[in-house]
Amino acid sequence: MSRLWTFLAVLTRFFIELKRYPFNTLSGLATLYLIFLLLFAGARYAQGLGVNLFGESLEGLVVGFLVWTFAIAAYSDLSWELMREAQQGTLEQLYMCPLGFRFVTLSWIAGSFLTSLVMVAALLGLMMVTTGHFLRLPLGTLLPLLFLTLAPVYGIGFLMAGLALVYKRIQAFFQVLQFVFVALVALPSDAAWGKALPLSLGTRLLGRAMVDGETLFTLPLGDVLVLIGTGAFYLLLGIGVFRLFEGIAKDRGLLAHY
Amino acid sequence: MDAVVVDDLTKEYRTRKGPVQALTGISFRVERGEIVGLLGANGAGKTTAIKILCGLLRQTSGRAEVFGVPSSRPEVARHVAALLEGSRNVYWRLSVEENLRFFAGLQGAPPREARRRTQGLVAQFGLEDKRRTTANLLSQGMKQKLALACALVKGTPLLLLDEPTLGLDVETSHELRGFIRELARSQGKTVLLSSHDMGVVEDTCARVVILAQGRVVADDLVPNLLALFRTRAYRVSLRDGLPDGARAQLEARLSALRPLEAERALEVELPPEQDVYTLMDALREAGVAVEGVSRAEPNLEDVFLRIVRGQNEGER
Ligand SMILES: Nc1ncnc2c1ncn2[C@@H]1O[C@H](COP(=O)(O)OP(=O)(O)OP(=O)(O)O)[C@@H](O)[C@H]1O
Ligand SMILES: [Mg+2]
Repeated sequence: MSRLWTFLAVLTRFFIELKRYPFNTLSGLATLYLIFLLLFAGARYAQGLGVNLFGESLEGLVVGFLVWTFAIAAYSDLSWELMREAQQGTLEQLYMCPLGFRFVTLSWIAGSFLTSLVMVAALLGLMMVTTGHFLRLPLGTLLPLLFLTLAPVYGIGFLMAGLALVYKRIQAFFQVLQFVFVALVALPSDAAWGKALPLSLGTRLLGRAMVDGETLFTLPLGDVLVLIGTGAFYLLLGIGVFRLFEGIAKDRGLLAHY
Repeated sequence: MDAVVVDDLTKEYRTRKGPVQALTGISFRVERGEIVGLLGANGAGKTTAIKILCGLLRQTSGRAEVFGVPSSRPEVARHVAALLEGSRNVYWRLSVEENLRFFAGLQGAPPREARRRTQGLVAQFGLEDKRRTTANLLSQGMKQKLALACALVKGTPLLLLDEPTLGLDVETSHELRGFIRELARSQGKTVLLSSHDMGVVEDTCARVVILAQGRVVADDLVPNLLALFRTRAYRVSLRDGLPDGARAQLEARLSALRPLEAERALEVELPPEQDVYTLMDALREAGVAVEGVSRAEPNLEDVFLRIVRGQNEGER
């Protein structure tokens, strides 16, 4: 039972801070929408010239953009949160959670996933109205696919969080990763090596579910398995690296310093 | 079972400029229900020891246990809560109540229990008017109170308090001392606190462990330490100061003589073969007008300084 209370406490705090700064949240949403409008206009224009910028269809663009948004949120929520806590001096207190700090980070991820879901749903609504392309939303297929697609991103989030614990000022590196994510989302996943990279295969599969109405069971089993495998691999790798750096931080007394 | 067991604990920080030896094989214990002071000059290793005990820092070698649980395990947090240096342990953007409820919840307390404890502590610390104020808008002292309350709201049997009264005004500091004493007396809590304020330590701790350069140089009950340094020192206040020549005359007869306060008083330490009458005779013969004589009792600060200085001289 105490697990539930700890989980709720972490979640409540996450939402209180979000609610206290509604402007941040809303302006973030507005910025994303503007970026999307620009992309969309660009892609339309290119299409008019006979160039398909984002795969086969504009729907592909919508799906890709959503996954990218989600990925950015997923990865930055985790690592920013950790840096903020370190700066504020509360990280040490979180490390003194009886269930362990990892439980706290898992609760963060849940909070971040839920908020991103709401944000992205709002964005998707706007985008569908703007583009006039309405996508299918088979939630039973989308949610697990989305989670599997994002699992590697959480892994990268853990990895970066671990680096941030020890090396502190790595924000610049953070920003670079956002562009790497764009590339990964836009990458065609036909080649075998492309499937092993984070994000790209998942984005394709999500696209097929939302555009062509495929379900978890009609999608190629091999691809779904690869998605599960790579998801688990990157997530565990990230957590492993995080633990390594956590050990270094505890050794050098870096949890309190920023 | 002891609340705290520290046995041959060593911590060497590895830094770019080479290793820093923060603790060199320290050992001490704290029994259940005790309030123990951890004293030492800046850099003596107090914070390092406290952080190892709450699992935030990994020791280089040795044993650190809290109620039998090695402090490197996360479960140790069921038994121990800590107020760490300064007041930087609370969420700036959360209100007083939200902070308290969060930390109770983090510890696994059900929401109703968290609310109950929060209410109790808000009342106890006199933070009622600030219940809904975010922490960044509190004064320094209130932040410190909130940070302490956040450690207490977890309801653990052991509290590690690193400088709990830093930045508090005299009245609040006294209030807090009473509160810390009460924790042990009525709630059976165990407290290990570090402070540079000897008043705080004398008021709350029955026993102190003194660290100097990463070693334990004293570990005893406060009265024992005071007795150890109780000397036959007398304080003589003078009506008209020291007349010319009197000083030389006195110094010839009394070995340890120290003029105080612009020569309005003297402190004299008598060797075993002399008594207070020798002192009075010497004063009269030197023509000194005496206003009063009292026994100069050492306080914890004197004791602390002597122990730490003695240690430093021993090192050289
Ligand atoms: N993270 C760290 N990395 C390297 N050296 C450190 C670190 N933290 C502390 N030290 C060193 O370890 C020694 C003990 O420091 P510690 O903070 O434990 O002292 P303290 O007794 O708490 O002092 P103060 O009264 O000033 O708070 C000091 O020499 C300090 O410079
Ligand atoms: Mg300290």
